[in-house]
Amino acid sequence: MAQTLTCAEVDAQVLRGLAPAGRGYWLAVSLCVAGILLGAGCWAYQIATGLGVVGINVPVAWSTYLVNFVFWVGIAHSGTLISAILFLFRARWRTAISRSAEAMTVFAVMVAGLFPFIHLGRVWLFYWIIPYPNQRTLWPNLQSPLLFDFVAISTYLTVSALFWYTGMIPDLATLRDRGRGLRGRVYGLLSLNWSGSHEQWHHHGWAYLLLAGLATPLVISVHSVVSWDFALALIPGWHSTIFAPYFVAGAIHSGLAMVLVLLVPLRRVYGLEGIITGQILEQIAKTLLLTCLIVGYSYAVEFFLAWYGGEASELGTFVARARGHYSPQFWLMLGCNAVVPLVCFLGRVRRSPPALFAVGVAVTVGMWFERYVIIIGSPTHAYDPYTWRLFQGPTWVEYGVLVGSFSLFFFLFLLFAKFLPCVSLAEVKGELTSSAAEESP
Amino acid sequence: MSRDRDRSLLAVFTREADLVGALGVLRGRNLSCRVYSPARCEEALAVLGLPPSPIRFLTLAGFLSGTVTGFALCAFTALRWGLIVSGKPVLAWVPFVVVAFELSVLLGVLSTLAGMLLLGRLPGRRLPSHYDPRFSSDRFGLLVRPGPEAERVAAELRDAGAEDVRDVEG
Repeated sequence: MAQTLTCAEVDAQVLRGLAPAGRGYWLAVSLCVAGILLGAGCWAYQIATGLGVVGINVPVAWSTYLVNFVFWVGIAHSGTLISAILFLFRARWRTAISRSAEAMTVFAVMVAGLFPFIHLGRVWLFYWIIPYPNQRTLWPNLQSPLLFDFVAISTYLTVSALFWYTGMIPDLATLRDRGRGLRGRVYGLLSLNWSGSHEQWHHHGWAYLLLAGLATPLVISVHSVVSWDFALALIPGWHSTIFAPYFVAGAIHSGLAMVLVLLVPLRRVYGLEGIITGQILEQIAKTLLLTCLIVGYSYAVEFFLAWYGGEASELGTFVARARGHYSPQFWLMLGCNAVVPLVCFLGRVRRSPPALFAVGVAVTVGMWFERYVIIIGSPTHAYDPYTWRLFQGPTWVEYGVLVGSFSLFFFLFLLFAKFLPCVSLAEVKGELTSSAAEESP
Repeated sequence: MSRDRDRSLLAVFTREADLVGALGVLRGRNLSCRVYSPARCEEALAVLGLPPSPIRFLTLAGFLSGTVTGFALCAFTALRWGLIVSGKPVLAWVPFVVVAFELSVLLGVLSTLAGMLLLGRLPGRRLPSHYDPRFSSDRFGLLVRPGPEAERVAAELRDAGAEDVRDVEG
């Protein structure tokens, strides 16, 4: 880690990224804005024309919008894994990357939260889906997995955002003390006039620990709940007890991949190689390797259960996955998620940032197709053969919205990287001072 | 006498270990001290001997109130609807666990944050007048109420490695 740096050098290196933007930054922002406009335009076209412009039909009620929703919720998982679970395990390598991973979590949940709105035909009536008591005294059915999902994801967004902000308060004070004018005043307001007194650190430390303790079961529960949207339905390929751990492992897998996709360029552009070291990337790669093995095992177990269970429809669904209409997507998923990351067994791959970036991209693609294969592949090969192979999408409108969602995610991350410290200054300094104390006689 | 009570010494250190050494000596003489640091300083907190933060009781209270609220909300809405859904009884406690758990975490987190703000006196109206902006960067501060021994304490702080010792209000 960054033992050779001093506290002042950590400040200088991290806060250098907050300097006025160069041409490269504006180019990246422009590309993202163009992508967002494309997505917004496609959505506007869908609203004006009707939901028929996307591949929605009777078995595939959400088209790829549900694929995108589950994909982005999954991406959100690693942030809390890195910031909360690894914090409880005292894994020091998380320190330098936790802030960016938490930001990724918050932005991914925000993007995911758009898709329930996008899939609505008349979005201006969105408040009809909000569970509130109406004049007919009908209340939402809180036994429904959809309500579980609503409660779980809104809780996750709230908790992730608060956890992110709590950890950032001391760093906002650093920005306040260095800032001038309006920017300094805004940071001062956000820092809540934090002074760094021992009383504040004492209570902050306890609060952070307790938040990590609460966020850890939450992160496990959220994707379990998302998986129950499917597992509680009587559809072959969905109705399985393996779904909760399978989805959680997949979510962490995709989140770690996105961490690599974001951090490898970030550390290079911001010159943070001394803080986000190659050793840290290697630890991420090893964790990715672990989740790859779990995900690969889950794929195998799904097939085993279908065969061992002896249920013809279930077996038919899985045979169709491997050999049927969606087999290209299935094999792409298998290759990207369960085979490509195995290259991380090689030390030279783990130590090569470009190779890790490529693995991250491959897993991100693979995880999107995993959601596609599960969410679209299963209802289009259900009990009734009339549903088979019915999905004709995604249409160009769906591709446009998908591009828009990625653009919005990267746009938010670019804003974060320009206005907030992308490395937790206080935590890295804490590691430095504690290392120095351990070394001193 | 009252001047001594209002008077404090602020020592600025470059090394955490020096601050912890000085803090140990001064706390040994029961002098009132406050530490400022750019990061959480475990050793200083240990020397100060603070009891565990009561935030944990607020967390527990928030968590339990979330559990009760979650189950109560589910039971209330189910009784208002009053129909058997999916073959489950109207009061189906097992699926209610999911909502109760999520609300427990949510209220636990909100009460934890409320506790941190309350006990850490955040947001503060203004920073202390003796606050040095370097405390959020790379310096450690030790604020001491020296009482009548101000000269002696100031000398001890300098001997302990303080790069700057000054009289401040507070």
